[in-house]
Amino acid sequence: MKHALDIGFVALTDAAPLIVARERGFFAEEGLDVSLRREVSWATIRDKVAAGVYQGAHMLAPMAIATSCGIGSEPAGVVVPLSLNANSAALGVSARLSESMAAADPVNPRSPAAFASAVARHRAPRGPAVSFGVVFPYSLHNYMLRNWAVAAGLDPDRDMRIVIAPPTSIAARLRAGEIDGFCVGAPWSAVCEAKAGASIVLTAAELRIGAPDKVLGLSQTWADAEPEAAIAFTRAVIRAGLWADASENSDELAALLSRPNHVDAPKELIARGLGTAPASIAFARNATAFPWRSDALWIVDQMRTWGQFPANADSSAAIGCYRPDMFREAASALGVSAPPEDTRPEPASS
Amino acid sequence: MRLLVVDPDPARAALVAEGLADLSPLEVRRTASINEAEVAAYAPDLIIVASDSPDRDVLESLREATQSNPKPIVMFVDRSEPGFAQQAVRAGVAAYIVDGLHPARVRSILEVAMTRFQLMQQLRTDLAKAQSDLAARKTIERAKGLLMKERNVEEPEAYAILRKLAMNSGRPIGAVASDLLAFAGVLKGDKS
Repeated sequence: MKHALDIGFVALTDAAPLIVARERGFFAEEGLDVSLRREVSWATIRDKVAAGVYQGAHMLAPMAIATSCGIGSEPAGVVVPLSLNANSAALGVSARLSESMAAADPVNPRSPAAFASAVARHRAPRGPAVSFGVVFPYSLHNYMLRNWAVAAGLDPDRDMRIVIAPPTSIAARLRAGEIDGFCVGAPWSAVCEAKAGASIVLTAAELRIGAPDKVLGLSQTWADAEPEAAIAFTRAVIRAGLWADASENSDELAALLSRPNHVDAPKELIARGLGTAPASIAFARNATAFPWRSDALWIVDQMRTWGQFPANADSSAAIGCYRPDMFREAASALGVSAPPEDTRPEPASS
Repeated sequence: MRLLVVDPDPARAALVAEGLADLSPLEVRRTASINEAEVAAYAPDLIIVASDSPDRDVLESLREATQSNPKPIVMFVDRSEPGFAQQAVRAGVAAYIVDGLHPARVRSILEVAMTRFQLMQQLRTDLAKAQSDLAARKTIERAKGLLMKERNVEEPEAYAILRKLAMNSGRPIGAVASDLLAFAGVLKGDKS
């Protein structure tokens, strides 16, 4: 039986496993007829999956969890059989702020301490001295920025203004001087460096090895009604992640992603984030695709820290939406090894 | 009450605002993109935003900032009226409301907005179809002219030849006419 599916995504490098699964025919080989629908807004992705317009989507891991718990929207069942990537998000500052940081600390111009001095110098008469753009309230990007501000001895709610901006608009807002920094996924951080003179000061890999970024979020209603198709879908995306992670495919992957109907960004800027360097985007290596329940716990912790997780919210729903069992079932049919544990040892952060 | 329509598509925004103008007393303001300070100053009771607006996520953060900020309609209507929020999502309309608005009032406003979004979609589809019909008719005219010249026949017979080709191949007459012109071009050595 042929399943016709509508799947949402946002123009980012980490949508690669979905794009590859479609373009290289992995979905078709599973009997799935998948249409990829690009959206500009994460909230629209969330609502369309909740309303059953999409059967699944490229999602921010914290958004999948917030939706499952009814935080920020009506509760809607989302299941996460797979993580799409790690190491895509990067925190960057404008040329102006970067200069102030270099002046404040010529030895370690990218350190939190340099940032703290620069912010103290810029302190405006009224309101916060600096504005940062992040992509969504429930996102690794928001948490990265907040943790970095705390490391600099600052209060992210008082000492800076955090605005929400779509990834594709960040470079333009930097150039217009509306924001002084950002935390955004690939390739838009590279676009900010190349087109708006920004400097990257922290990568996701430096915050936490394998920090959970995007996941595949399936509508629970659909996954419950079509369990075999849900596993087949997961299998196709696991294969695509392995393909995308192989360094010999990097050039072809960059070309595929750069197309106008996919990420629509210059190929060379997409290629910059690919590869096997420790800070490069990972799709499969180091068990990245496995939906570690310890990642879900870490996200709940972050949500609590930043006041996003109400006391009456159900943390078991948050952890339960991660489905290592589905990954194992899909992986075993492919002969791909999957960890026997649901949680991984707490990674050492650098 | 005050209503803000956020839509990067000015034609659609105008169509929505025009539809809502009939629902008095209602003050409607339109904007292509969200400026947080402007929203705070205007203090709308209801915000209607196009799902394909890049500013949609900005509203999510406004909502987080303080308790009194607007909440998405999906949260508001779902419990009492299952299906309504889904209809709005399908129509491409998202809405954010401030607590305390009468549900029936919100519903009537949203229904107008949804109808107008669908109307715009229909207008655009019709326009695209009219344009492609016109292009097909021009192609058929040119193919007929070619047949009349090359086979030395009158117009009704030229049309009959095209129609027979279309019926034999089970394809639209416009597509057959277009192929005929392309082949004729190749035979004449046309490079284009």
